[in-house]
Amino acid sequence: MSAMALRSLNLPGVGTKYEFETDKGDTVAIFFTKTGSIQMYTLQKNCHTPSAAEMSPVEARRLGNILTGAIIEADQESVEIAFSALADLRITIHTFFVTSAVVGKTIEDLQIRAKTGATVIAVYRHDRNIINPPPTFVFEKGDAALVIGESDQIKKFEREIMVN
Amino acid sequence: MESLVLALFICLVLALITKYLSIPAIPFYILAGVLLGKAGGGMLTTNEVSYFFSEMGLIFLLFFMGLGLKPERIASNRVAVLTSGIIDLNINMIIGFMAAYLLGFSLMESLIIASAFYISSTAMALTSLIENRKLMLRESDTVIWLMVFEDLVLIIFLAIISAGNQNLVFFLIKILAVLGVLYALAHYGKEFLISILDRDDELPILFTFAAVLITASFSLYLGVPETMMVIALGVAFATTDPDAFEQHARPFKDVFLVVFFVFFGVTVDFSGGANWFVIGAISLLAVVSKLISGLLTGIFIHGSALSGLEIWANTIARGEFSIALAVIYGSPVVGTTIAAMVIVTSIVGSFIAKYSGILRRGIVNHGRHRALMRRSH
Repeated sequence: MSAMALRSLNLPGVGTKYEFETDKGDTVAIFFTKTGSIQMYTLQKNCHTPSAAEMSPVEARRLGNILTGAIIEADQESVEIAFSALADLRITIHTFFVTSAVVGKTIEDLQIRAKTGATVIAVYRHDRNIINPPPTFVFEKGDAALVIGESDQIKKFEREIMVN
Repeated sequence: MESLVLALFICLVLALITKYLSIPAIPFYILAGVLLGKAGGGMLTTNEVSYFFSEMGLIFLLFFMGLGLKPERIASNRVAVLTSGIIDLNINMIIGFMAAYLLGFSLMESLIIASAFYISSTAMALTSLIENRKLMLRESDTVIWLMVFEDLVLIIFLAIISAGNQNLVFFLIKILAVLGVLYALAHYGKEFLISILDRDDELPILFTFAAVLITASFSLYLGVPETMMVIALGVAFATTDPDAFEQHARPFKDVFLVVFFVFFGVTVDFSGGANWFVIGAISLLAVVSKLISGLLTGIFIHGSALSGLEIWANTIARGEFSIALAVIYGSPVVGTTIAAMVIVTSIVGSFIAKYSGILRRGIVNHGRHRALMRRSH
């Protein structure tokens, strides 16, 4: 693990730098600049010119989600949180845009919890968030649902509830 | 008042254009001032309002510089920072001073020009590193710490030359006493300061503005110049929550400083008695002298002249601090010379910084090519 040693450094007037070298000898450096943007540099082993990408905080979080191994699709995203203290419990939170299969139905009708084990914890509708929708909640076209559960439960939700 | 409104409008347009083209805005603010001021028909004239705005710009620039000197920022690689800092200081101060003195400036004028000649623009250097995506280069660290070193030297230099006719030792003791008092206030009032900064009403921003202005106004009673007072305040506040202070002082700095640059340009008079040879020589030397110090730093710190080229590319631009020096102490002739130097170096600098990668590759390829040619004989 020594190669993974992450160095963080405060650069006056610029921001904070995080850098680490991979086992294979490549280097990755991330800079959180004072301007608010995040720059990521990768430098291949034995190469002198790094390549860089500049990201907004939202884009950087998205990249972070991909790197943590959570499922991600074009306009849906998910976050996986691992609790190593709780027997490596891994909880996934995933957003789904509702499909025609669920429009007009309630959470109760769909038997989401019983069928998949996953829970709908919030629904995004018309620029507003509805937190903890009740079982009588009716899905509408254009809703985005935030579902929480273990990775398998989320996959089951995608297969069985969001069927087209 | 109309002058100020016109100036602000022009700045806004210039800011939009320069940000869009990602080139530094400072030289264009000054040029706008020059073109619309004395040299260009007097559309812009200095008056009490513009004078007040400009002074605020200078005060907030220096307050920011003080805030940047956080105590925990003592570099881990002290030897490298010190070596590069000393090379940079000696080469540029000596070349700048010799040039100015030989071109006919007085001793004091030559000292001011030499300091303005020495001090690179921190703002432009850091922006160039970020915008040209060079942060990962090892030379970037050198450049960043060089800027910190230069700021420190500037403070010492400001302290020495602002002593004027006062006894230097007594003057420095006074500055240290002010710093001590402000430090103690910041230390014992830390909880209170942080509780103010944490609020989300008008209090944090009002407090920041008032603290800077009130501290500056004390200079009248203490015989310590405003510049020193606000730097000391910045240094003292840096021990509490510098990021919050930066955030609350930034709007003032951003607006006032832009006005400061424009009206500095207005006072510049290229038409009357400007010696183009002198101006051209100093501006050219300003580019060359940083090349020499950059190459030496590259060789000493990174063992490579190519690294030196990269350091040079990012430190050519002179800017805010050079102008601050010109405004605080310079005569009109000195001001004009420094203005031209800032305009030339910042434009040349931004161009070279953008294309330094190509420059380096070009030199490497040329070297390889020559090596191959030699082998074939």
